[in-house]
Amino acid sequence: MQFPQLLNPHDTACELIDLNHKVLKGIENLGRIREQDIQAGASPKEEIYREDNLVLYRYTPMVDQPFRVPILIVYALVNRPYMVDLQEDRSLVRNLLKLGLDVYLIDWGYPGRADRWLTLDDYINGYINNCVDAVRERHGGDPINILSICQGGTLSLCYTALHPNKVKNLITMVTPVDFHVKEGFANLWAGCDAGSKGMNFDALVDAFGNIPGEFMNLGFLMMKPFTLGLGKYLEMFDILDNEEKLRNFLRMEEWIFDSPDQAGEAYRQFMKDFYQGNKLIKGEVKIGGKPVDLSKVRVPVLNVYAEEDHLVPPPSSIALQRYIGSTDYTLRSFPVGHIGMYVSGKVQRDLPPTIAQWLKERG
Amino acid sequence: MHWTEQTETMVNALAETQKQMWNNWVALMPGVPSPTDVYSDVTNQISEEAAEGFKALTAESGQVVRDVAERLLTTQNEMLRFLELSLRAWKAIAPKIESGEDWQTVLRNFTDNLREQLLHFPQEIQKAFQDSDELWRLYREQWKGLVQPWAESLRRAPWRVGQASTGNGPALIEFTNLYWDAYERTFGRLLESPSLGYTRELNEDLLKGFDAWLDYRRASFEYQVTLGETWVQAFEKFMRQRVALAEQGETVPGVRKLLFLWVNVVEHVFTEVFRSEEYIRIQGNLVNAATAYRLCEREIVDGFLKTSHLASRSELDEAYRRIYELRKEVKELRKAVHAIKGEVSTQASNEDAGGRPADLPRDTA
Repeated sequence: MQFPQLLNPHDTACELIDLNHKVLKGIENLGRIREQDIQAGASPKEEIYREDNLVLYRYTPMVDQPFRVPILIVYALVNRPYMVDLQEDRSLVRNLLKLGLDVYLIDWGYPGRADRWLTLDDYINGYINNCVDAVRERHGGDPINILSICQGGTLSLCYTALHPNKVKNLITMVTPVDFHVKEGFANLWAGCDAGSKGMNFDALVDAFGNIPGEFMNLGFLMMKPFTLGLGKYLEMFDILDNEEKLRNFLRMEEWIFDSPDQAGEAYRQFMKDFYQGNKLIKGEVKIGGKPVDLSKVRVPVLNVYAEEDHLVPPPSSIALQRYIGSTDYTLRSFPVGHIGMYVSGKVQRDLPPTIAQWLKERG
Repeated sequence: MHWTEQTETMVNALAETQKQMWNNWVALMPGVPSPTDVYSDVTNQISEEAAEGFKALTAESGQVVRDVAERLLTTQNEMLRFLELSLRAWKAIAPKIESGEDWQTVLRNFTDNLREQLLHFPQEIQKAFQDSDELWRLYREQWKGLVQPWAESLRRAPWRVGQASTGNGPALIEFTNLYWDAYERTFGRLLESPSLGYTRELNEDLLKGFDAWLDYRRASFEYQVTLGETWVQAFEKFMRQRVALAEQGETVPGVRKLLFLWVNVVEHVFTEVFRSEEYIRIQGNLVNAATAYRLCEREIVDGFLKTSHLASRSELDEAYRRIYELRKEVKELRKAVHAIKGEVSTQASNEDAGGRPADLPRDTA
C-alpha cells in the first residue's frame, strides 16, 4: 500500500510562505493602529452619579420620547462593562437606545487596595441601591427596570428580593443561579463537589487582599486553554490584511484582558456562599444580615441565556424559574457562547427588540 | 529586557525555527524536491522584514497592539514546532503502516520519548527534592537581598541537612530545629541583644516559609506532570486519528488546518481531565499551596518592613479597614442628614401653606 502523506508537501510549503507574508502585512497594519483607534464606547453618555470608584452614566437617548420607565444595566464585577457598548456595530446599548429605551449603566471602576473590605452588602444595599435611587429620583421616584448581566444578574436577583418595591421589571442575562450545575468549570473548580479539597478562598483573600485580575484571567483562559491560547490566534491570520477587522479583534483583546481586581471580602462571600455553598437557591444567603429569599422576586422576569455558554452553563441560568415567586416569567435563549451574547451579529439583531418588546408589553 | 529587544529575540527565534524547518524538510517529507536554499533565503528575507516591521510599533501603539503582535509571532512559532513534531511522528510510523507492520508500538515508543522530554524538567525538580542543600540554596536565592544581613548567619552556618533526602518538609524543619537548639546552646545564649532576639524570630519565619515553599514546589510539580501527561495522551490520540483518516486516503489540506484539528483534539482531552476529581484536587492543592506560601512570605516581608520603620501590609490593611468603616459611617450620616433636611423642608412648606405644622395635633396648632 502506498501510504499517503500527512500533508501535501508542495501545498504546505506554499502555505508557510503565504503565512509569512500575512504576518508581515499584519505587523505593518498593527503598526498603523493607535490606542485611540481601538477605544471602546460608541454611544455618548453623561455622568449622573459618583460614589467611591463607581460612576453611574446615562446614555443620551436617541429618540424624542424614550420609554417612560428607564432601564439600569448592572454588569458583573469581573471584566469591564464597556462590552455592552464596544463599538458602533457591536453595541447592545446603542441598539436599545435606537428602540427608544432610556439607558443607564453602572461602571464599577477598578477596586484599589482601600476597597479590600467592601462586602456584597456594600455592593447590593449600598452601590446598586444608591444607583437605583439616583435613577428613580430623576424619574419621579417610581420603580425602574433592571437589565442585569452575568454576575450582575446574581447581584440584581438579591437586590430585587431585598428591595422589591424599587424594581418594575427584571431582565437577567447569562446569569448563574444554580452554582452546583456540573457542566461549568467555574462551579467544579471552585469546589462545588470538592469542598475543602477545592480552593481555600479564605486563605486566598487573606493572602492577596484583593484578588488580582490576572488570577481571574488565568482561570477563564484555563477553561479553554488551547482554543483561547492558540486557536484564536490561528484564526487571526485571516484578518491580518483587514485593518477594520484587526481593530475589532484588538478591541476584544483589550476587553478580555482588562480584568479589575476583585474586592477581597465581596469575592470571599461570593465564592463561598454562592459557588461552594450554593446558598442562593437554598435561601441561605445573607446580605447585610438579611436573608435573601428568591421567592420574594415577584416582578416580571425575562431570563436570557446562551446555549453554548461554557462560563455559565444553561442549566445554571434556567434553574431561576424554580426559585422565584414571579408568575410572569419568560425564558429566551440564543445559539451562542457567553461572549457571543454581546458581539454576535444574530444576537445584536434579535436581542434588543426582544427586550424592548417584552418591556413595552409590561408598561 | 526592553520590548524591542524582546521582539528582536523572538523574530530571530522564529527565523531560526523556520530555517531548521526548511533544512529538515526533505528528510521529514519525502516527495519534496529539495529547494531548501531557496526557502532559507525566503526565511532570511522575511525575518529581516519582520524585524523592520516591529520597529514601526512604537509606544503609541499601545500595550494591546504590542501584545497581539508578539502573540502573532509566537503562534507562528508554535505552529511550526507542532508541524515538525507531527511530521517526525509521521515519518516514524508511516513506513510501518505502508509495509503492514506494527505501527502502534512505534507510535507508543515515540510518545514515550516525548513524555520523557516533556517531563524532563519536572523530573529535575523531583531530583532537587532529594537534595535539601540544593533546595535550601534555591529558597534562599528568592530572599537574597531582602534577608541580608539576617540570613547571613544561616548562610555561614554549617548547614548540613542534606541527609534529609526525602525532601519531606516537616523532616527538614526538625533538622532546622535541631540546628537552632545547638546554636542556642552555644552562641545564641551569649548574644541576647534585642536585635538578635528578633533575628531568631525572623529566621523561624524563614524556616516556616521554607516548608510552605516546599509544599508549593511539590504541588506545582504534580500539576505540571498532570498537564504534561495529558498533553502526550492528546498527541497520541491525534496521531491515531490522522492514521485512521490517512488509511481512507485523506490528507490534511494545510498546516493551519492541521493545527485546528490538533486544537480540537487536545482541548477535548484536556476538558475530560479538567472535569476529573483528581485534577480538581491537584489544581486546588496548587492554588492552596501557593496561597499558603504567600502568607508566609507576607509575614517575613512584614518583619523586614517593621525593622525598616515602614508600614507593613498588615498594618496598611488595618488602616484601610478603619477608613472603610469610617467611610460607611459618613455615608450613613449623610443619608440621615439628607432625610432630616427633607423632613424639615416639607414641614416648613406645610407651615407656609397652612400656617400649621403638619405633624402637630389639630388642637395645638
